[in-house]
Amino acid sequence: MGKKIQINKEFVDIMPQDYLDLVETGTYESPNRGWKDFGTATELIAEHSLCAGCPESIAFRHIMASIPNPEDTVMVGSTGCTSLVFPMIAVHNIHSLFGNQNAIATGLKRALALRFPDRVKDVIVLAGDGATVDIGLDMTLQSWFRKERFTTICFDNELYANTGGQESGLMQKGFLAKMAPVGKKFEKVRLPEIARESGCDYVAVMTASKPSLVEKVIKQAVLIAREIGPTYIQIYTPCILEIGKQSMEGLQEMRTSEAPGERFKFREFISPEAQSFLDGLAEKKKAEKLAASEATS
Amino acid sequence: MYNVAEVNAEECVAQKGCRLCIMYCPEANCIQLDTSKMKAVIVESRCKGCELCVVVCDAAKHQAIKMVAR
Repeated sequence: MGKKIQINKEFVDIMPQDYLDLVETGTYESPNRGWKDFGTATELIAEHSLCAGCPESIAFRHIMASIPNPEDTVMVGSTGCTSLVFPMIAVHNIHSLFGNQNAIATGLKRALALRFPDRVKDVIVLAGDGATVDIGLDMTLQSWFRKERFTTICFDNELYANTGGQESGLMQKGFLAKMAPVGKKFEKVRLPEIARESGCDYVAVMTASKPSLVEKVIKQAVLIAREIGPTYIQIYTPCILEIGKQSMEGLQEMRTSEAPGERFKFREFISPEAQSFLDGLAEKKKAEKLAASEATS
Repeated sequence: MYNVAEVNAEECVAQKGCRLCIMYCPEANCIQLDTSKMKAVIVESRCKGCELCVVVCDAAKHQAIKMVAR
């Protein structure tokens, strides 16, 4: 049991079992939390209402397992399938008006810095492509221009899946959806490149098919956002219903889309300041490992 | 009728470090690792029957998981 998350002894006997499990076998305050905790530790997400086999829920699990200090993290969500999951996660979270998520995160981050000046508080925005790129593009870009220090994660499913498949800014050119029968006439918005030019210190494009990679990227993004400046991650989480796939085909769809030359091939941009920060972290870790091995020998 | 996954403990190779089904299951806390036997165990009440675990297990040629009707 950690120090920050504890149950008042008077209430232990009336707390639900799920809550007790989270406190006793959850991964709060674990310094090396990651996807390797799956199967043995209680996850910070439970019994969500997404469809069977939804790739978004795979991505959600990997992200919840990777965020560096969940007990001091506030997540900001927006309308969409992700807002069905936020009530089921064991991290403080705020549901914002559609598209306002980066504006709310800005105020939240500043308020937390004033209220808890001696504690590390992370803010993570997690929204779909409609909220990030179409409806909330103004708020998204302005927060990057102002160099607000929080992480923006975009779950890119390339359409408005929750409302039946309308065309979105991140949809690929020529794609036919149920509510976009003519096919999209414009190119997919190149938000990662826009993010880089708008002042993000770390930008990554990926799919959720490799938990180890998701873990590495999320940790880097949150740590850089804490110290240097805004970070942006775009994760492909296909909507299997809207692209006409079976429940077990989501993983293959993600793997196909990240093949060399495809639109979600893993790429990242790290600014020089962020790179020197990461190098410093790596050196510190190396020195700690060396000290630990010397202590045992 | 409802389909859920079932692990054949004799075929499961979790003791060798395989965590494929646990890694790729979209449901949280659904496939657990039995740390005494070192085998994957399905929590049936959380399984939505998507068959992703069957796909990843078969692709790795372990073939330890199959879908059963409940």
